[in-house]
Amino acid sequence: MTVGLPHVLTLAALLFGIGLYGALSRKNAVHVMMSLELMANAVNLNLVGFSRFVTPEAMTGQFFAVFSMVVSAAEIGLGLALVIAIYRRKRSVELDAVQELKG
Amino acid sequence: MDFPLLTVIVFLPLLGAAVVALLGNARAVAGRVVAATVAVVDLALVAWLASRFDVDGGMQFVEKLTWVPQVGITYHLAIDGMSLAMVALSALLTVLAIVASWKTEKNPALWFSMLLLLEVGMNGVFVAMDFVLFYVFWELVLVPMYFLIATWGGPRRQYAAVKFFLYTLFGSVFMLVGIIALYLQTGTFNILEMAGAGLDPKFQWWVFAAFFLGFAVKVPVFPLHTWLPDAHVEAPTAASVLLAGVLLKMGSYGFLRISLPILPDAAAEWSTFIAALAAISIVYGAAVAFAQTDMKKLVAYSSVSHMGFVMLGIASMTPEGLNGAVAVMFSHGVVTGMLFFLVGMVYDRTHTRMIAEVSGLSSQVPVAGGLLAFASFASLGLPGLSGFVGEFLSLVGAWASDIPVGWVVLSAIGVLLAAAYMLWLVQRVVLGSPSAAVSGIADLSAREVAVLLPLVALTLIVGLYWDSLLRFTDPAVRSILAMMGGA
Amino acid sequence: MDWVTLIPLLPALAFVVLAPLSRAARAKLVPLAVAAVLGSLGLSIAAFLAVWPGGHGEVWQASVTIAHIGDRAITLGLALEPMSAIMLTVVTVVGACVQVYSLGYMHREDRIGWYYAVLSLFTAAMLALVLSDNFLGLFMAWEVMGLCSYLLIGFWHEQEAPRLASIKAFLTTKVGDLGFMLALAVVYAEAGAFDFATVLHHDWTAGTATLVALLMLFAAMGKSAQFPLHVWLPDAMAGPTPASALIHAATMVAAGVFLVVRAFPIFEASGIALTITLWVGLITALLAGLLAMVQHDIKKVLAYSTISQLGFMFIALGAGSSTAALYHLVTHAYFKSLLFLGAGVIIHAAHTQDMRQMGGLAKKLPVTSLAFASGSLALAGIVPFSGFWSKDEILAVLLHEHQYVAFAIALLAAFVTAFYVARLWFRVFTAPTQQEDLHEGHRSMLVPMVVLAVITAVIGFFGPTLGDFLGHEIPWPALGTAAISTVAALGGITLGWYVYGRRTSVVNTQALKQRFPHAYGVLANKYYFDLTYGYFVVGGYTTLARALATFDARVVDGVVNGVAAAWRSLSAAGWTFDGRIVDGAVNGAASAVRAAGDKVRTLQTGSVRSYQTLIAGAVVLLVVWILVKGA
Repeated sequence: MTVGLPHVLTLAALLFGIGLYGALSRKNAVHVMMSLELMANAVNLNLVGFSRFVTPEAMTGQFFAVFSMVVSAAEIGLGLALVIAIYRRKRSVELDAVQELKG
Repeated sequence: MDFPLLTVIVFLPLLGAAVVALLGNARAVAGRVVAATVAVVDLALVAWLASRFDVDGGMQFVEKLTWVPQVGITYHLAIDGMSLAMVALSALLTVLAIVASWKTEKNPALWFSMLLLLEVGMNGVFVAMDFVLFYVFWELVLVPMYFLIATWGGPRRQYAAVKFFLYTLFGSVFMLVGIIALYLQTGTFNILEMAGAGLDPKFQWWVFAAFFLGFAVKVPVFPLHTWLPDAHVEAPTAASVLLAGVLLKMGSYGFLRISLPILPDAAAEWSTFIAALAAISIVYGAAVAFAQTDMKKLVAYSSVSHMGFVMLGIASMTPEGLNGAVAVMFSHGVVTGMLFFLVGMVYDRTHTRMIAEVSGLSSQVPVAGGLLAFASFASLGLPGLSGFVGEFLSLVGAWASDIPVGWVVLSAIGVLLAAAYMLWLVQRVVLGSPSAAVSGIADLSAREVAVLLPLVALTLIVGLYWDSLLRFTDPAVRSILAMMGGA
Repeated sequence: MDWVTLIPLLPALAFVVLAPLSRAARAKLVPLAVAAVLGSLGLSIAAFLAVWPGGHGEVWQASVTIAHIGDRAITLGLALEPMSAIMLTVVTVVGACVQVYSLGYMHREDRIGWYYAVLSLFTAAMLALVLSDNFLGLFMAWEVMGLCSYLLIGFWHEQEAPRLASIKAFLTTKVGDLGFMLALAVVYAEAGAFDFATVLHHDWTAGTATLVALLMLFAAMGKSAQFPLHVWLPDAMAGPTPASALIHAATMVAAGVFLVVRAFPIFEASGIALTITLWVGLITALLAGLLAMVQHDIKKVLAYSTISQLGFMFIALGAGSSTAALYHLVTHAYFKSLLFLGAGVIIHAAHTQDMRQMGGLAKKLPVTSLAFASGSLALAGIVPFSGFWSKDEILAVLLHEHQYVAFAIALLAAFVTAFYVARLWFRVFTAPTQQEDLHEGHRSMLVPMVVLAVITAVIGFFGPTLGDFLGHEIPWPALGTAAISTVAALGGITLGWYVYGRRTSVVNTQALKQRFPHAYGVLANKYYFDLTYGYFVVGGYTTLARALATFDARVVDGVVNGVAAAWRSLSAAGWTFDGRIVDGAVNGAASAVRAAGDKVRTLQTGSVRSYQTLIAGAVVLLVVWILVKGA
């Protein structure tokens, strides 16, 4: 059996679903961020997949994936820094503890 | 590209201002040392520039970079002899102002950084050869001066500062209109390129009128002068010195650098009117000065009178008159600077500026009294001192020009009236027996004498050897006249 | 020959050294100033000998360019020629005498150092003036002398009178100086230079020449105290007497005459200017002489006498003889400074300047009285004293030019001169003694007086020599004019003796005054010049200045403030409008938005999880919508 585009897309959809579930259900900010990463990587998988199977001669999708990974690395760095900052103030990383922006 | 000497001269004080401000009031002692160092280095750079200056070389040390190429705005600095004289004056007076206000206690960090910021604007105005840049520097000057008056001034400082700011802004708005009109007509902001553009005389007339308002307020010419006495009376000593010494010259410099070369036909048309206003300023300023009871106000009105001679020289449009105008500008900066410093020093001791309450300085404080008398004689135009050079040349030039004789004679009478108000001041303040306010005060300190000595020396040097100043200004004046003739 | 530069430079250096020092240090260095002027005296004599035997032309010239303007250069220069050589000796001799004399006269003053500094500066300026080879340099020196005169008149500035006199002197002469400045402007516009050679050889049209000449004459009238600009000189007597001798008798006041002599070709080119000069001189000589008759202050008598004698010099100039004017200038410098120095001794001895309280000084002050006699006889014009010769030359010139009316007036003035000299002499020296304890002056004061007295007695014999030296002719007096002028002088002296000298009691002229109340009133009020000037010029200007100051504050500044106030009320009205209507609309909109916001804000829970859910839900809805729409 050769791996085709449908396989990749399925895997990506699964990953995205898991990530979405995690992001919506978890209270712990670190868990939520891990879930967000899953979703982002699902998108990356899609990008690579489309690139490989739809436009194999152009590398655009692959570059996009690499770019996206770099951005999410930075994003995680920032996110974790925020989490640490919140932890310092609240002694907790529970998302429900942070409601200062309530209108 | 060569070392951008002019840029450094203009913007070094900005760096200094930033450092002084960052040091803050907590480290004000370090701050004022930095301020003094920066100002002295700047003066030294000007001196170095002067030593390498080629008097017959026209515009020199040119720096020209594109800034906003879409509309032809450039970063364009250059200097000629006339600009050099003014930049030297500005750099010198800034140093002296900083030293004279060494003991400032109220918010010293802001004070010294404002003085340095002021120097940026003053230096910039005299070397900017692009209209936009010129305008930026022109307006930049207002801001520190506003704060200097409004923060450290006398009881009515808010009123005076606002009046100063609004009045001069009122003038410069018209100037901006003129600049834009010129740009639309010529397609450039380059001041030097515009000279001799041969603009339509009708158009010139209107642009000249716009510039006239801008410059005449700054000079100031009667009847646009009333911001001056208020600003001077309320301003702290160092600000008064810079205001009279340098800021007023920006106006007459504008006439010489912009109005005359770019708008020669209109200038010729306006010359009689300007001469008339000049003569009226001279006599009117002198008469009003005579009636003052406040020393500082007297000196302020004397500035109106002296600047009238600048305008008379400009209106003559002869080599003698223009050289005379620049010489009065320079000499007035030096001499009036001296007078304001002295009045300030007397005020520091007696806590009054009322002429009626101060007398007998020469008996109680001979150094201060002697220097005040010296400055007064320089101010009234005694030959051998710098004040005479410019006033004499302005009169000679005016006589040789088309200016109606009546205005020239009226201006000459101003020389007599200057002697009247200056001597009457000396009479009451320097001579006689010490009054209650004067008795017991201490004479000038070494620092204060050090502030005045360079000015005394300049007064004598320029007064005795005119070429020490004129060899710089004469080529500049000749090129202005050539540009006017070429149009 | 460049050492000639040292002649003005030595006293100038003395000033430069003395001026910045403290009071005590200056006082110690007074000998330096005296040494400087003696040095100048020596060099001046050397210069005189270098020019000898004179005749024509410059012996030495040096100049420095002080300014380049356009294609012209402005130079200042010194030139040594016969006239400047003569003036150099006059100035340095009188200057040296005065400085030596002042050692005694001023030794009690604690500001003696300052006195000597200014005296040195003055001497330097006067020497530069006579040496100057151009009008600009002459003017600059002229003004510096004015400054020195101001400083010396106001030397005792703690007192009111010297203070007022000094400013009056400076401003009155400055009125004349305006003429000088304008004359320089015309000269420069016409001839393009200031040096004598160019200016005097310029091809003057009569009109321009008249303009320049009259402007210069006006300047000379101010400096030389001619009517109607004479008012400052009598007041200037408030200064120290030796300074008066040097500045207000011998040298500075003669600078006006000297200027006209220098510019004489221009006067000649004009013609009418000469006539005006003549009449200025005539009026001054006579009117000032009349005033000298009624003064009681010994220095004021001498001051009016100086004005009158300067008038004689103007008469000579007006009659067309600059040589005669210069001759009288020289003789007058010696005998008038002598008289002033004598007056100084008298004032020291009598402790008053009022002649009514003096008397009998001849016995107590023998040297002074002899020296004073020499000066008085010269002033009265008695042969062989110097004034006789030069005054006679002036009268001869008038006759030669057929100016008979002028001759008559001048003769009358000479008569008046002799009368007031006699009046002074008899009142001071021979009238009954009113004081005890009178002392002759110190030796340092007497020696200079003796020197000047000897010069006064003998210099007249050198008139023709002087003429040759100048390259002009000064003849021996013709017997006729000499006789007429001697008769006038003797007549004046006799009348003076008749009124003041023949009695042995103190003279009281009250009866005389009551007999001619109007005439006396006019003279006592000095022809009302001072009152007129004080009321109209000074008072008028002061009133005008005050009015203008009020005008400036109320009207000119009022307009500015009015504009500002109008703008403020406009903006206040605008503020109301703005607040009620424009801002009302804005505020209305704002409150509507706020109300809506209040409703919507409940959505903003602040909980991350609810936002997530919202986003996810929205995405799902979006996807569903796209799918449905796409299908």
